[in-house]
Amino acid sequence: MSTPFPNEPGEHEAERASNSYLMSLVAHIVGLPLPIVNLVATLIFFLGNRNGTYFTRWHCTQALLSQASLLFVNSYGFWWTIGIIFRDNTVTNEYIAYMITVFLINVAEVIATMYAAIVTRKGKHVELWFYGDITNAICKP
Amino acid sequence: MTRAFLQLAAMIAVFFGLWFGLSQIDWVGILRIESGKEATEEKLGDLLWDTFKQQDEELRSSEVTSRLDSLIQFVCKENNIDAKEIKLHVLQNDDVNAVTLPDHHLVVYSGLIKASDSEAELVGVICHEIAHMQKNHVMKKLVKEIGLSALIGMTSGGNTGRIIKLISSSAYDRELETEADLTAADYMLKADLDPEALANFLYKLSSDDVPSQVYWVSTHPESKERAKAIIEYIEGKDITKNQILSADSWKSLKAAASEN
Repeated sequence: MSTPFPNEPGEHEAERASNSYLMSLVAHIVGLPLPIVNLVATLIFFLGNRNGTYFTRWHCTQALLSQASLLFVNSYGFWWTIGIIFRDNTVTNEYIAYMITVFLINVAEVIATMYAAIVTRKGKHVELWFYGDITNAICKP
Repeated sequence: MTRAFLQLAAMIAVFFGLWFGLSQIDWVGILRIESGKEATEEKLGDLLWDTFKQQDEELRSSEVTSRLDSLIQFVCKENNIDAKEIKLHVLQNDDVNAVTLPDHHLVVYSGLIKASDSEAELVGVICHEIAHMQKNHVMKKLVKEIGLSALIGMTSGGNTGRIIKLISSSAYDRELETEADLTAADYMLKADLDPEALANFLYKLSSDDVPSQVYWVSTHPESKERAKAIIEYIEGKDITKNQILSADSWKSLKAAASEN
């Protein structure tokens, strides 16, 4: 949801904050086959902006956190699939259900990230459900 | 932070709830994953058997087939295995060999019957092959080596040479061989037969003075170690050395296999 921020971000800040989500989105799509890629890419962007303004840092942190949680579910799905292809594991109802769940979560993440990228580009502050609170707790002005 | 924890708990609950809920749907049945696999296995089995049949003459003498069938029926009955699934074929070939093909095709070479000094030795090899079938080792190996999509492609008339090479030479990994050996020993113990005979057979055929036709051993690596593993596995277990066929029937089987 869009919420007020302590200071009004400038054009440059809004662009960088929005880019953190775009970076996260691109890394997410590129990194789907190997989930660690998206986290590493977002982490690099986060480190690059850690000395940025509060607005930029805040949104880079939120983008990073939302990626980090996906790492676990995507990695589990990735290694499960590897087990089916190269080892003795078989395709079960649980596996298919897991992959559908992971797919839905990834779709939700992509939509949320796109929304955050668009809103922050307009210079508005947006806090994602759960990740916003965590970011508030760890990212201080 | 309390709100964040509640939100985290809610997210975890939604994730596992969704996963659990979706797991209740029979996706494997809806997507026909099993029936697709079974159809592929059936076609592959038939295709490979056709290739084997072209290379050697099939031995149809009931003296041989009915007796081998009795051995298989007995072992299967004692181990709750559906013997009707097993498609037994005997090939007239002096190679000491037995091969399991997809879809429960069991190919026994007449040379194996001739080389077996006792019924238990022959039953041991058959039990080993049934163990490969029951553990689905053949399809597992083929899917691992070739890939399911390539296998499906081969069922519509592809080159079976590679598959035959895979299932009849340097066949299985050590892990799968050991699993088949120990499962065979279990089958024999349950059927009150002597699993030591399988170990003896392996040991005997791994010695240097055996002709190079002993493919069942030469294609199954580290035979001496495998024999030792079987002996260690059955050590301390109650072994009953029953016979399935009468002495005369066993002699007739050997004679019939040698005649052809």
